[in-house]
Amino acid sequence: MSANPFHLAWFGAGGFGVKSWNKTWSGRGGRDWASPQLWVDIAQALERARFDYIIIEDSSYVPDAYGSNSKAYLSSATATPKMDPTVLAPIMSHLTSRIGIVPTLSVTEYHPYMLARKINTLDHMSNGRTGWNIVTSSSHRAAQNYGKDLLEEHDLRYDIADEFFDVSCRLWESWDADAVTLDADHGVWADYEKVHTIDFEGKFFKVRGPLNAPQSPQGRPVFTQAGGSARGKQFAARTANSVISGVEGGPAAMKRFRDDIRAQATGYGRDPDDVKVLFMASPVVGETDEEAQAKRARQVAFAEAHPELGLLHLSRHSGIDFAQFPLDEPIPDTAKTNGHQQMLAQAIGKTPREFLRKSLSTMEFVGSPDTVAAKMEEVMAEVGGDGFLIANFDLNRRYVSEIADGLVPALQRRGLTRTEYTHSRFRDNLLEF
Amino acid sequence: MSARPFHLGWFYSKGFGPKAWKHQWAGPKSAVARFTKPDTAVELARAMERACFDYFMIEDSSNVPYTYQGSHHAYLRHSVDTPKLDPTVLAPYLIAATEKLGIVVTCSTTEYHPFMLARKMNTLDHVSEGRIGWNVVTGSNDGGAQNYGRDKQYPHDERYDRADEFLEVAHGLWAGWEPDALVLDLEKGVFADGDKVHPLHHEGRYYRSRGPLSAPRSPQGSPVICQAGGSARGQAFAGRWAETIIASASTPERMKAYRDNVRATAAAHGRDPDQIKILFLVSPTVDETRERAEDRYRRSLEIDDNEVEYQLASLSRQSGIDFSQFPMDEPLPDTLVSNGHQSMVAQWQGRVLADVIRGNPLNSGSNAFVGTADDVAAHMDEVMQEVGGDGFLLVNSYFSRRYVTEVCDGLVPELQRRGLTRTAYEHDHLRDNLMAF
Ligand SMILES: Cc1cc2nc3c(=O)[nH]c(=O)nc-3n(C[C@H](O)[C@H](O)[C@H](O)COP(=O)(O)O)c2cc1C
Ligand SMILES: Cc1cc2nc3c(=O)[nH]c(=O)nc-3n(C[C@H](O)[C@H](O)[C@H](O)COP(=O)(O)O)c2cc1C
Repeated sequence: MSANPFHLAWFGAGGFGVKSWNKTWSGRGGRDWASPQLWVDIAQALERARFDYIIIEDSSYVPDAYGSNSKAYLSSATATPKMDPTVLAPIMSHLTSRIGIVPTLSVTEYHPYMLARKINTLDHMSNGRTGWNIVTSSSHRAAQNYGKDLLEEHDLRYDIADEFFDVSCRLWESWDADAVTLDADHGVWADYEKVHTIDFEGKFFKVRGPLNAPQSPQGRPVFTQAGGSARGKQFAARTANSVISGVEGGPAAMKRFRDDIRAQATGYGRDPDDVKVLFMASPVVGETDEEAQAKRARQVAFAEAHPELGLLHLSRHSGIDFAQFPLDEPIPDTAKTNGHQQMLAQAIGKTPREFLRKSLSTMEFVGSPDTVAAKMEEVMAEVGGDGFLIANFDLNRRYVSEIADGLVPALQRRGLTRTEYTHSRFRDNLLEF
Repeated sequence: MSARPFHLGWFYSKGFGPKAWKHQWAGPKSAVARFTKPDTAVELARAMERACFDYFMIEDSSNVPYTYQGSHHAYLRHSVDTPKLDPTVLAPYLIAATEKLGIVVTCSTTEYHPFMLARKMNTLDHVSEGRIGWNVVTGSNDGGAQNYGRDKQYPHDERYDRADEFLEVAHGLWAGWEPDALVLDLEKGVFADGDKVHPLHHEGRYYRSRGPLSAPRSPQGSPVICQAGGSARGQAFAGRWAETIIASASTPERMKAYRDNVRATAAAHGRDPDQIKILFLVSPTVDETRERAEDRYRRSLEIDDNEVEYQLASLSRQSGIDFSQFPMDEPLPDTLVSNGHQSMVAQWQGRVLADVIRGNPLNSGSNAFVGTADDVAAHMDEVMQEVGGDGFLLVNSYFSRRYVTEVCDGLVPELQRRGLTRTAYEHDHLRDNLMAF
């Protein structure tokens, strides 16, 4: 490998729900979306390409932010339906052998004991290949499904996450690694002195413990986290093994983000090399550079012809109903939201169409596999590491194959990504370089 | 089939955890050490499907018990109901390994929020293409509650009041997407019709949930509801909600009385009693000759000191009463009561503790099914004729692979020959197979 190999992971955007369903390469995506088969195929392709991990995104509500009802989301299958990722993860683990499987679970929806137990079971069954994408949820609708009036305030959610993380780790370590003796001759199944209650009483949670299952192969799962705010980054620097980032502004901004996470991790007494920062990328690859560029141009044209599809996402993430503003008139400074203040501030003065166009122009990797591989190498050299999180919002099998069988071999030829898994456990592979 | 065929289920007791380990037929140690892997459960599921069972029920509880002697010592030493891994993670493996068998998962209404439970069951039903059931339990051990932030369980009857509302919310969520809400119009680009997806806005005494669920109606609409309440309040709950009840009773008369009572309760709730299938626990001993089976059965009743401690720890967990405080050879006090499994504890009042431990009601007197496959099949037929229905739930406390084949490849073919159990699945969904006769 080159002096600075990097990591690859996949972001299963849209979660266990409808992927591409009415486009050219959708196949039977509209009918078969509730089958785990597509995810199994993706995980196997990524394993072939030696990816570190795949995240199953999640949220647990039917959005109605745009136009104040769920009609547009349901008719376009945007961010809904989404089924439970903890049901999908075991099936993916079962049919793969090396790749890390990372379901998304929210600290404002689970109780720590239930979450710790499910993750422990997953890690046992996957032979140490389980991760947890830690989220705090971001929609009042999810909170209302779980009996609350409103979601807890932003920074408070991270306080909850901090305590949740601490309780869970204590549960995962409540059985010493050698507690199970299986001594059939003396009839001693486990050594009770090596199993400990945790008697945790915090601000938010109270848990006696121990967990009712032995320590799993990795002990703790691999933690991934995507906090972008100051408080979110602080949480990620303390807890995450892999921070996933959608930071905008090109390599300079990426480098700043990574340096910041690493500095904060050091502040927590951690080795910054134990936190792998992966950046979102949606490469567009084709046989030639021209073909890839033409493909990208068609995608942009489609997005511009259907601005509402983009605004559905922006409305859901921000809590701002973009349907209320005419597409080509500047958003007035009297507009209000009880959601994302910062995002609204950025939108004021722009027309919805302009605002949307800006969100489309993220870092572009467009070209033949070789061109894109070279560009990725260049960006990583500038940023310093640690790799990319591939995501595609109109996901189909053809795209997966273009990445796994086209782009990745080009990266491997340059010595940029792994050609074999060195270890059997997810964390060991992630921290290998 | 005979005039009165019956149903078969399997109770995967001790949940997703160690099975036989120091016992005969446990297998090589390298296999025993794989108790955190799906191996034995997957093999059992495949064997059951071969024998056309209705469903595989995964037991569960969520703490390391410490009722006996106030310590988790005995529980860990003998592996008494601990450890148990999460059954909702095992279920997808069983789904992937089978095509027709029903998979029933135990989840507690005092641990889950209704939205989370409803969502998981909906996903499981989608992924299994309509083969999921939910064994509704309310939690009975304070140690379980203490892992979830409470000091003790809610009082027994209140747990069922909560469970009633929990079921109302869950069914409301499952009904939130109309069956034809998915449009799938590829040309117009319309996936689903927002007018056919409804929030629930439930505001009750114990729960609130807005809804709708974040996924469409699943193949069965809702999981098959399985329940095991034995107390009066538990039976009332089962009469209202259950589609299959798993019960233990020590004689055919008691089985019949139990069944008649549940059916009457169901009728009082305006339900068709035939829509509830009651399966009774049995643990047959089947061997090549009657003598060998009887010999095996006799030996299974001999219990050593380790086994006594095992049984005492187990009773303590289930009842919440520390049985180390009672002498072995004196009658238990008449005042013995439990906030846990009430019906069970009521049966022990005044009985000598040593007898309670020895006389496993599942497996004694007229409920000991012992003999050749032919003997046992005839005995099961007889009991079912007397009780009126609806079938049996197999259980093997020291589960071994050998026992599985004895039942699935020995006993069941004999039942099938007599026309007592199905020889092929008629339907794709668990509920349809369960209600087929
Ligand atoms: C790559 C990436 C993946 C994310 N995945 C999820 C997810 O699956 N579920 C979710 O609720 N939020 C997800 N988020 C949102 C983050 O958890 C977080 O709320 C967001 O980045 C805003 O950061 P902040 O919480 O620090 O304000 C994701 C964000 C990013 C950048
Ligand atoms: C066959 C059978 C299986 C049971 N499985 C479980 C189980 O998996 N988890 C659990 O907490 N309780 C289980 N129970 C206990 C019942 O849910 C219930 O608490 C018990 O039968 C006492 O009835 P009551 O609640 O009406 O007093 C089971 C009971 C029986 C008879």
